[in-house]
Amino acid sequence: MNEHDLQQQLQQPTPAPAADAKARHIAAAMAAFSAQHTVTANEESRSINEEQNSPQKKSNVLQGFLQRLRPTRDTNHHGSDSMNNPTFDNRPLWQKPALISSIAASSLAVLAGITFMQHLAINPVNDELSATLAKQTAEANEQRKQSERANDGLLEKKIATDVVEEAVVTGVRAEIPQERNVISAGDTGQLPDASVADALQRVPEYSVAAPPPAPVASRTTAAVPALAKPIMRQADLIKEAQVAGMRENIVSAPELKRANGAIDIPTAPPQEYRDRFEGFTENAVTAVSENPVSTFSIDVDTASYSFVRRQLNNGQLPAKNAVRIEEMINYFDYTYPAPRDEKTPFATHVSVMDSPWKKGNQLIHIGIQGYQLPMAKIPQSNLVFLLDVSGSMDDPGKLPLVKQSMSLLLDTLKPDDTIAIAVYAGATGTVLEPTKVKEKTKILAALNNLQAGGSTAGAEGIALAYQLAEANFNSNGVNRIILATDGDFNVGQTSDDALQDLIERKRDKGIYLSVLGFGQGNYQDAMMQTLAQNGNGTAAYIDTLSEAQKVLVNEAKSTLFPIAKDVKIQVEFNPATVAEYRLIGYETRALNREDFNNDKVDAGEIGSGHKVTAIYEITPVNSDSKLLEPGRYQQQATMNSKSSELAFLRLRYKLPTQNQSMLIETPITKNTRDASANYQQEVNFSIAVAGFAQLLRGSNYTGDFNYDQVIELAQANKGKDEYGYRTEFIQLVRKAKIAKPL
Amino acid sequence: MRPIDENQLIRTAQAGNAAAFEQLLIDSYDRIYRFAYRWCGNHADAEDVTQLTCIKLAQSIGQFRFEAAFSSWLYRLVINCAKDWHRSQQRHQHGDLEQLASEIHRDDRAENGIYLQQILQLLDSLAEGFKETALLVHAEGLTHAEAAIILQVKESTVSWRLHEIRKQLQSLQQGDGSWEVSL
Repeated sequence: MNEHDLQQQLQQPTPAPAADAKARHIAAAMAAFSAQHTVTANEESRSINEEQNSPQKKSNVLQGFLQRLRPTRDTNHHGSDSMNNPTFDNRPLWQKPALISSIAASSLAVLAGITFMQHLAINPVNDELSATLAKQTAEANEQRKQSERANDGLLEKKIATDVVEEAVVTGVRAEIPQERNVISAGDTGQLPDASVADALQRVPEYSVAAPPPAPVASRTTAAVPALAKPIMRQADLIKEAQVAGMRENIVSAPELKRANGAIDIPTAPPQEYRDRFEGFTENAVTAVSENPVSTFSIDVDTASYSFVRRQLNNGQLPAKNAVRIEEMINYFDYTYPAPRDEKTPFATHVSVMDSPWKKGNQLIHIGIQGYQLPMAKIPQSNLVFLLDVSGSMDDPGKLPLVKQSMSLLLDTLKPDDTIAIAVYAGATGTVLEPTKVKEKTKILAALNNLQAGGSTAGAEGIALAYQLAEANFNSNGVNRIILATDGDFNVGQTSDDALQDLIERKRDKGIYLSVLGFGQGNYQDAMMQTLAQNGNGTAAYIDTLSEAQKVLVNEAKSTLFPIAKDVKIQVEFNPATVAEYRLIGYETRALNREDFNNDKVDAGEIGSGHKVTAIYEITPVNSDSKLLEPGRYQQQATMNSKSSELAFLRLRYKLPTQNQSMLIETPITKNTRDASANYQQEVNFSIAVAGFAQLLRGSNYTGDFNYDQVIELAQANKGKDEYGYRTEFIQLVRKAKIAKPL
Repeated sequence: MRPIDENQLIRTAQAGNAAAFEQLLIDSYDRIYRFAYRWCGNHADAEDVTQLTCIKLAQSIGQFRFEAAFSSWLYRLVINCAKDWHRSQQRHQHGDLEQLASEIHRDDRAENGIYLQQILQLLDSLAEGFKETALLVHAEGLTHAEAAIILQVKESTVSWRLHEIRKQLQSLQQGDGSWEVSL
C-alpha cells in the first residue's frame, strides 16, 4: 500500500449524519450550554453566600457503601449547614429550662420504673405493692405529660439519651425540602458530566411539557417558506424539509419518539378494520305523479369495484357502504357506439327492456360514450405525483405498488410531458422537480428512492403539490395532480371542508386532482371521494398491479384527459306511461332539480373515451307490479300526444375550457331498441353488474333475484372480454356466494 | 460561512446567547461529524464521538480565545473527544471480530469499510499523535503547516510523522499483510 492508496481510503466520502441523531446531539449540546450558563450564574451567587456563612466542610468522609459505618442514621448527603441547625446550644434561651426539666422528668420516670420492676422481681406476690406501683406509674406518666406540654411539643420520644440527637435529626429533615432547589441547580453544575446526563434525561420531559401549539406553529412557519419558493433547487428544499423536521423533533419529543418508533419497529401492530365509507341509503321508488324529474351527476369512478373485489378475494362480503352501484357498473369497458366528432363529445344510447328481477317492471338503460381523442390531439400534460410515504404506507400492497403503478404510467406519457414528485409524511418535500418524461431514468431513480416512515400531513402535501403544478403550469395542456395515498390524513389542519375549499379553488384555475387509493385496513374512502369529485378527477382504487395497469395504462387517456366537465343528467318521466321509477345507484351523486340548469353547480367529468351507464327501473302505468298506492285525490294524468314516450333525457355538459353548458336532448320511447346485438350484449352485462351490486348492498327491490342468475346473465353476455375483467367478475360473483359477512 | 460572521456568532454565544450557539452548532455539525466518522470509520462510534464533541463544545466555547481559527480549534476539540471516547471504550472493547464484521457489513460499502477499518487499526497502533496527523493531512487535505498549528507541534514533526507512516505502510506491504509494527 502506498501513500496514494492511503489518501484514497481516508478520503472516502463520509455518509451524511442521520437527521434524528443530529437533532438529538444538538439538543444535548443546547442543554449542556444552558446548564453551563446557569452554572456560572449560580456560582457567582454561591460565592457571595459563602462569604457570609463560615466555610464548612461539606463532603462526607465515608461514601458509597461505607456510609453505613457512620455513627449517625442520616449521613447528611446534601451538605447542609448543620452548624446552623438548632442544637441545644443555639436554641433560644427560654427553651432551655423546659428541655432540661423534661429530660430530668423522663429519666426519673424510667428510673422509678426500673426500681419497681426489680422490687416486683424480688417480691412477686405483693398485691399492695403492685397497686401502688400502678398508682405511681400513673403519676409518673401524668408528670411526664405535663413536662411534655411544657416543651411545646418539641420532643417526641422519651428516652433520655436520645433526646438531643433526635431534635437535631428532625431539624435537618425540615430543612431538606428547602435546600433541594439550590442543590439541583448548583451541585449538579459542579459536576459537568452529571449535569449533562441530567440534561439529557430532562430533555424529553421538558419537551413533553412544552405547550402543544408550539410544534404546530413551528411546522407551519417551516412550511410557509418552503411553499413560497417552489422552484427552489431540489437540494435546498429537501434540506429545508429536513431542518423543519429536525426543529420539530427538538420541540416535540413525542414526535421524535414516533419517528424513532417508525424506524425501529417497521411492523405495525395488527390493524383492526378501520376503512371508512360514507353511509348512504338506496334510492327509493318514486311516484311519477309526485316527482316526475330525476337529476344526477355522472360518475366515472371505479374505486368501489376494486375495493369490493379485494374484500371478496379475501373471502369477506364488503361493507354495504363500500358498494356504490354506479362505480361497479362503470368499472367495465362497454363498447357503446362512439360519437362522430369532437363537437358533440358524447353519443347517448337508450334502450328499454324487461327487468330481470321484477316481473312487470322495465329497465331504462342509458349508455353514454365519450369521444376518444385521437393520438395527435392529446394535449401535453403537466403531472405532479403526490405520494404518501407515511409509516402507514409501509406495506407490500401500498408504497411498492405505488412505485410500480407510477412507472407504468410513465410509459403511457409523451416524451415532452413533465412529471414532478412531491411526498408527504411527517414533513413534506419535493423529491423530483418538474422533469420531462424523456429523462425516464431520473424519474425512476427518484421513485425508487422513496421509503415509508413518519406520520401523515396530507394537507401540507397537497398545498406543496399545487405549488409545483402552478410553477410549471401549462395553459395548453392538462395540469393534474395525482394523489396516491391510503387516505390517512391525520396531522395538521385537515378538516374535509378546508381541503375541499382549496381543491375547488385550484380546480377553477385549471389544476385538477385525481386520487389513487391504496391499501386496506385504514382506507378513507369518503375523503378520497371528496377530493376527487371536487378536483375534477377520478378516484380509483388500486388493489393489484393489474388494476394499476387498467387504470393507468389501458385507460390512461380517460384518466388523464377530460373531454367534458360538469356532466349532468336529467330524466323527466311521462306520467301517462310511467307510474313509478327508481334510479339504480348514484345515491351519492344526486342533484336537485334546479341544479341541472345552474352552471355554477359542479358535477362529474368525463375523460377521453369514457363510458357512463345509468339504469332506471320503471313500472309502467298498466303494470300490476306497482309498489305505491295510487293517490285517491290526485287527478289522473291526461293522455297526451306523446303517449309513446316513456321519458325525456336531458344531458348537460361543458367543454373543458368553457364555462357555458350545452344541452343534448333525447326522448326515450317505448320501442327504443338499438338493433345491434353487440350493443344489447353490453347492456345485458351492465344489468348483470347492477344486479350483483344490488345483491351485495342487500337491496330491497331485487325480489328473488340471486347470484346464480347474475352468473347466468353475465356468462351469456361476456363478449370478447379482451382483458379478462368480465371473467373475473363472474368469479367474484361465485366468491360472493360463499363469502362470509364481515 | 465568512469568518467575520462566525467570529461574531462565537462572541454572541460566549456571552450566553443560546440561539447564536445553536446556529454555530448547526453550522459546524457536519464538519464535526465528518471528522468523527473518519476517525472511527463507522456510524455508531462516529455518532457517539459527535455527541461528546457537541457537549464539549457547549461547555468550552467560552474558552475559545480567537488565537487560532475556529476550525483549527474545532479539530482539536474533536481529536480530544475522540481520544477520550476511545480510552473510555477500551474498557469494553469489541470482544469478537464477528460482531465487528457484522457491524461493518451493515455499511453498504462493505469491502471498502473493512479496508478502512484495517488502516484505522494500523494508525491506532502507532504512537500518540500519528493518527490525527494522518487524518488531518490525508483525509482533510490540510497542509503540513495547518496540521502543525492544530496539533500544536512543529511543522517538521508533522512531516516526520507522515514519513514514518509511509514507512510503516511499505513494511506492511513487504511483510505480507501482517499488522506487526515496529514503532
